[in-house]
Amino acid sequence: MLKRRPLQSRSEVILRNIVVIFLTVYMTIFLLVPIVMAFAGSFHLWNPLNGTYEWIGLDNYIRMFRYPTFWTAMSNTLIFCAVVVTFRVVLGLSLAYAIVSRLTVHKTFFRTVFYMPTVTPLVAVAFVWKIMYNPQFGLIDQILGLDINWLYDSVFALPAVMVMTVWKDFGYAVILFMSGLLSVPSDYYEASNIDGANAWQTFRYITLPMIRPTMVFVVITSLISYLQAYVPVMVMTEGGPGTATYLSSYLVYDQAFVKYNFGYASAIAFFILILTAVLTALSFKVTGERG
Amino acid sequence: MKKRFPAVLTAAVLLLSMTGCGGEEAALQEGVRDTNPDKGLAVMGNHVTYDPNHLVNGGEPVTLDWWLWDAPDLFGSIAREYQEMHPNVTIRIINNPWDGYWTKLPLALQKEEKGPTLFNVHNSYQHLILPYMAPYEIPMEDLTADYFTAASHEIDGAIYYTDFGVMTGAIYYNKDMWEAAGLTDEDIPETWEEFREIAKQLTIWEDGKLVQAGFNYNGEMHTLLLGLPYQLGDTLFLEDGKTADLTSDGMVWAVQMLKDMYDTDRIGDKDFGTDSSQSFGQGQSAMVYKWGHFYGYMGTNYPDIRYGTFEIPTAEPDPFAYDRYNGEATPGINKNASPEQLEAAQDFIRFYLANTRVQKELCMYYSLFPANNQLREDEALQENPAIHAVSEHIEDYIWPGAMPSTMEENLKIAGQDILYNNKDIRKTLQTTEDIVNVDLANTDFTSSEHLYDKYGE
Repeated sequence: MLKRRPLQSRSEVILRNIVVIFLTVYMTIFLLVPIVMAFAGSFHLWNPLNGTYEWIGLDNYIRMFRYPTFWTAMSNTLIFCAVVVTFRVVLGLSLAYAIVSRLTVHKTFFRTVFYMPTVTPLVAVAFVWKIMYNPQFGLIDQILGLDINWLYDSVFALPAVMVMTVWKDFGYAVILFMSGLLSVPSDYYEASNIDGANAWQTFRYITLPMIRPTMVFVVITSLISYLQAYVPVMVMTEGGPGTATYLSSYLVYDQAFVKYNFGYASAIAFFILILTAVLTALSFKVTGERG
Repeated sequence: MKKRFPAVLTAAVLLLSMTGCGGEEAALQEGVRDTNPDKGLAVMGNHVTYDPNHLVNGGEPVTLDWWLWDAPDLFGSIAREYQEMHPNVTIRIINNPWDGYWTKLPLALQKEEKGPTLFNVHNSYQHLILPYMAPYEIPMEDLTADYFTAASHEIDGAIYYTDFGVMTGAIYYNKDMWEAAGLTDEDIPETWEEFREIAKQLTIWEDGKLVQAGFNYNGEMHTLLLGLPYQLGDTLFLEDGKTADLTSDGMVWAVQMLKDMYDTDRIGDKDFGTDSSQSFGQGQSAMVYKWGHFYGYMGTNYPDIRYGTFEIPTAEPDPFAYDRYNGEATPGINKNASPEQLEAAQDFIRFYLANTRVQKELCMYYSLFPANNQLREDEALQENPAIHAVSEHIEDYIWPGAMPSTMEENLKIAGQDILYNNKDIRKTLQTTEDIVNVDLANTDFTSSEHLYDKYGE
């Protein structure tokens, strides 16, 4: 066990205390207090803009479970998360594996190209894809020779948003998986080679177990971020057609900042918080890792 | 000391970051002292009058902040005209983007005197700002005598804002396409039946593909649905004014007619672009239904398109109402402003309402039918096609009240569900009505439909 090095000077102690106090104050003001306020607000008819704050008990939660759009949004969110996380992991890992392969040249070029969408602003990307999906002059219909109104078709609208999201985000997974793959000791591969393992066996029994921490990290962070996704929907579909692309976080935004039902929005937000915690725990369990 | 320096520096940076953008604002630029009550200027107005020949706040300097979300030059010129008469009053124009305006404004008004003294109002957000507003100190009878919509804004015998102009929908048509189809002014339709026949003549399909829509309402279905049921005498709210009625025969008729236009008449298509404004501007659609601000949109984005306007067709002659209208509101006054600011703000509002030139400029800018009765026959305003189209029957348009956004939002969803997701009309409208009524139950909204002249007939 590492022995803790004692702080060497009074200056270090002061610096540590300042940083700890700052972070504690910061987290309290900008995280803890808002969470507590939102939780309390979820039991109230609450509109901070005109000062309404009336106790209504569990009405917001009852209303939430009876509201058909809530269930549409929840089911869309789960589908969205499952599909986008899966594609992000599969695509990210495949491309990372290809880049670190000894057969690939110009690794830096590919790494840069794949990472570029990640550093592009999401709103700008969403607008560009919205134009690409236009049924009259959009690039996608023209290239594929189709006549589909992608964002106004209840069958295609959510998948269209998913495709944009995967394209935007897979580069981040590529970089993470590359670092995971490069950290696997080469001795293991040499040993497997001597033992006569084929490529699949090497990947299945050496690479995958060794990059499991990276995998867990990518899955968990993706899950948390996609459960909160609403920008692509806001820009590309506004939840439509009808409620076909409503995601849970978009519903929170809609209730809070369009209809000013802050109490109701807080109830939905708390449900999402619990769902996020459950899904995160489940992911840890499935991947066999603990925090 | 050297060892302590990093810690001190870090502390300073952290503290500065926590204080954010705090700090003293730049010193206010205040007016000079005014000692001359006799400005030598004529009294303005008809019933609401304004006599500039007096001192405001006893001539002592006073500063008013005026928040708005649009047209700072226009509102700034009004403020300057007032300041020239009263040099001791400084009006600071503060323009905020629309998106943040309705969050920032109520929060600023909660700061009482520190909030803006004057602020532009949109009636759909009345529920957020009314608790912070002071009533106008102008007799109700004077306001209603000069402004034909003022009575609809009366709250417990007082007026907190009124309309300087009203806006509603009309049909915009492409004159080149109209002429190419051999149509003349004589063909302007008055009923929906006639309209659909004209639209068929304006529609062009080539090889099974729509290349020119006779009528395009993509993106506007919910706007039409909020007005069309009135043509059959069905209101959007029940008699209590608090319960939405979105399953009326008029609503079902309106939805069915719009759907039939695309599915049966084939005068347009739900997949023919997603934005009818853009489609009209690009010369792809012959007719669209738009509200008055479309005039400004076309002038800015598509100045080369030749277009005309005509009044929205009706189901039958002499309808209960042609359509709904909405007003553009006069500024509100912060009731918690200082007594000096309140006196100056009330004086400014009287000037604003009594000055017909100001009212005309505002209506010209926003393409609004003037709420001020003196401007009804104004030639320059009548030349604006958006105003001209609605002027003949403006008394036959109804104002439903300052509707919470849930009505518009949910009718938009319903329209998309019916049009794009092929959901059953009655079931969808019933679901929408249920959702809207749950939302309305949590508001203090009451419809203003009962104030309409023909209500109850």
